[in-house]
Amino acid sequence: MADALTHIPGAAHHEHDAHAHVGLEYHPGLPLSNGKLIVWLFLSTEIMFFAGLIGTYIVLRFGAPTWPLPREVHLSEPIGAFNTFVLICSSVTVVLCLEAARANKASLAKGWLLLTFLLGSVFLGVKLYEYNAKFSHGIYPWLPHSRVYEKADLNYAAAVRLRLAELDSQLKADEDALKATLAPEAADQDPAIAELHSKMEVVKELSDYELAQEKIAATDPVNAERHVALEELADKVSPLPLHHGEEEGWNHEHSWLKLPIRIPGGNMWASTYFLLTGFHAIHVLVGLIVFAIMMVMTLNIARANVVENIGLYWHFVDLVWIFLFPLLYLF
Amino acid sequence: MSEHGHAHDDDALAHASHEGIAQYIYVFIALCLLTTASFLTYSDYWPWHEQPKIGWAFMMAVSCTKAMLVILFFMHVKYEASWKYVLTIPAAFMSIFLILALVPDIGLRGHWVSEERQLYMAEPRGTRKPMVRHGDARPAHESSTPATSGH
Repeated sequence: MADALTHIPGAAHHEHDAHAHVGLEYHPGLPLSNGKLIVWLFLSTEIMFFAGLIGTYIVLRFGAPTWPLPREVHLSEPIGAFNTFVLICSSVTVVLCLEAARANKASLAKGWLLLTFLLGSVFLGVKLYEYNAKFSHGIYPWLPHSRVYEKADLNYAAAVRLRLAELDSQLKADEDALKATLAPEAADQDPAIAELHSKMEVVKELSDYELAQEKIAATDPVNAERHVALEELADKVSPLPLHHGEEEGWNHEHSWLKLPIRIPGGNMWASTYFLLTGFHAIHVLVGLIVFAIMMVMTLNIARANVVENIGLYWHFVDLVWIFLFPLLYLF
Repeated sequence: MSEHGHAHDDDALAHASHEGIAQYIYVFIALCLLTTASFLTYSDYWPWHEQPKIGWAFMMAVSCTKAMLVILFFMHVKYEASWKYVLTIPAAFMSIFLILALVPDIGLRGHWVSEERQLYMAEPRGTRKPMVRHGDARPAHESSTPATSGH
């Protein structure tokens, strides 16, 4: 970078000093401080990183044969809008923190920084709540936790049958283990055993229904009957909700069942949703860690540059969410 | 780079501060209104639920406006010197090229899907057969060709 030489305006009286410094100052090629330059270089790589992720999401989403509706994957638009509002508020508080630091009001700056930290924590808390809603419905971006199947075909029916068989053997093993600890005459009266028996009855009933549907499907493997029978099975396990918060089906009635569910496009949705929001959440977390470190500093005018640099990063995190919110929740 | 860069840096900051806190509040209000506007597409008041592309275009326009407000005023880019173009424009171009490079293989992947792959793929919305048993006796693959196999 070519450095230019310029006169310092007040250099003249320096020349009266004993050793008469030459009143010249090296002028940087780019008119910004080292710290800010580094932050902006970092942010330009971040632009490419998130633009790549968001762009990939758009390309994957519009090239997919189908994509689940928000209610089908238990995604709440009002919660997403609330989180957007929280991040916008935190962007304002961080910029007010910078103004306070520039005005040399260290305690006021710390107050705004604390508020920013709290708002960022609220955002992460809401995100965790949202993640939990997905996990509790068996929507994970990875196996073996994910219970999402793309369509109600024979593969899906086999997965339901296997899960019911697994539950059956597990319940029987539990019963044997429990009986071993009890006296034979007490076993019949024991409430835990009675509960296991009622669960076994449920599993038996569901297994019979599942087998009956598979038999119907097998009688006519290429026509509509197969399709209807397996769709009926998937709807019994967990129907695709027509309205927000609508919960029914075996999985809802008996939460311990954890049977495979059918969500068309659900697997690609889960992969992209968790990847995008996960990377964004990591960025929020990093911001919170830096805010926590800065809480021990005196945020006076000498630190205004530090506040500005972390502020730039935080605004970028807000910026990413501005695009993620409509793309993930409203598209 | 040297620490003396602060002199110029401070110019930009002073310029930003010049507008005062009121400006941040105006931008904040604008951001809140724009968020409400994009949320409007979700509500019953939005008249184009049947044509999602209108909603998508509207939401992207709103998001770009919000992004510009944050970049220009909160990140003070409006008051920065021309170096801002050196860092942002190449990054933006790289992003666009990356997305375009994905279109042939990923975006259009549904156009050349094998029959075997199609067996396990989700069916496009609206192509599911009606829930009537003993009705339509046509083979399933004739009555439910996925739209993505297209041509």
